[in-house]
Amino acid sequence: MHISEGVLSPAVLLGGAAIAAAGVAAGLKDLDQKEIPSMGILSAAFFVASLIHVPVGPVSAHLTLNGLLGLIIGWKAFPVILVGTALQALLFQFGGITTLGVNTLNMALPAVICYYLFGWGLKSGSGRSVFMFAAFASGCCGVLISGIMVGFSLYLTGEAFLPAAELVVAAHLPVMFIEGGLTAACTLFLRKVRPELLEEVCAPK
Amino acid sequence: MRRNDHSINKTARYGSKIVCLVFIAILWIAFSHEHAFAHKVTIFAWVDGDTIHTRSKFNGGKRVKGSLVVVFDPEGNSLLEGKTDENGMFSFKIPQKTELKVVLKSSMGHMAEWKIPAEEITGSGSESNTPETVEKAPDKISIGTGSESVKTDEDVLEPAAIGLGREEVEEIIDASLDKKLAPIYDMMANTYDRGPGLTEIMGGIGYIIGLVGLALYFSNRRRKE
Repeated sequence: MHISEGVLSPAVLLGGAAIAAAGVAAGLKDLDQKEIPSMGILSAAFFVASLIHVPVGPVSAHLTLNGLLGLIIGWKAFPVILVGTALQALLFQFGGITTLGVNTLNMALPAVICYYLFGWGLKSGSGRSVFMFAAFASGCCGVLISGIMVGFSLYLTGEAFLPAAELVVAAHLPVMFIEGGLTAACTLFLRKVRPELLEEVCAPK
Repeated sequence: MRRNDHSINKTARYGSKIVCLVFIAILWIAFSHEHAFAHKVTIFAWVDGDTIHTRSKFNGGKRVKGSLVVVFDPEGNSLLEGKTDENGMFSFKIPQKTELKVVLKSSMGHMAEWKIPAEEITGSGSESNTPETVEKAPDKISIGTGSESVKTDEDVLEPAAIGLGREEVEEIIDASLDKKLAPIYDMMANTYDRGPGLTEIMGGIGYIIGLVGLALYFSNRRRKE
């Protein structure tokens, strides 16, 4: 999912960085002190998840957890993912400094989309099966939309969109299902252990 | 107030559970290194005689198959290109004796490059040696054929005495050096970039904890004011 340096055109890099900056600003607006620790924990989870390599499919792919992040913290996924991708670029050399904005956008925007698409399913009133379905779908869609956005970034730089996007999505099919399962498991665990965490944030205002 | 305490308590309990999980995940990653990699490609190139070999891989050690490799000269003109084979290898004849840049263009926005310095290439060529190497060459020969106890320059410049031209000797030495060094190059290609270790992972998590602390500190101060 990380786009390397020197692949994208400057216009795409700048555009991505600008949108990502707007997203980060939106995420940091009205930040509640109580949310900071959980944001930090999710940031660490996102940072480490990129090391969990899924050895299935034509290329090497890894977990992103952006569906889970979106469900739990919504717009705050932007600053959280920015921190994660920045540290991945600095310490693991995944992606790069110039592509930081685009990479953040490609992973954080799907998180926010998942939040709006599936956040309703995680309210306390919803049944267990609805809850699990929403969480699973959110995990899947996080990866899927990210894949499409990576394909789209490459397309804006001049690659043919369909082959690029197809390849990215095909490569991440196994990851999608693993992510879906993982997101469902994590949110179920949270529902049991600390339901108010899902309640507070998960009602789109 | 009591309610607040209660929720803080709960947060702490919940937090410690998550921290435990994260640590288990880290340890698992640290000890199952084989599977613990992600998305990044690397290319490694080395010279063998008049050929340059390149090996491309994902940083899980998985070979990059069928990806485009482009060779550039120092001015940035592309000289030739080809695709990696099943083992992520792509080999080509040295197109020109200058510094070369090998760029791997993998799918999905991944790219990596490796520079081959001019010395490495001219050193292994059989022709068009720079004057510098010609001057140095006789020393090598006198060491290599030490039994003759060659000392004066005249003797050195008469390599016919030992039946071989200077260039031929150079070629032989280069060939055998390349052969001897091949396993080392191979090892380097394998060890080059082993992916992030425990240090990087712990460092990153430390940064995040620090950022959380910083954010809490500032938001706390703002609240007091």
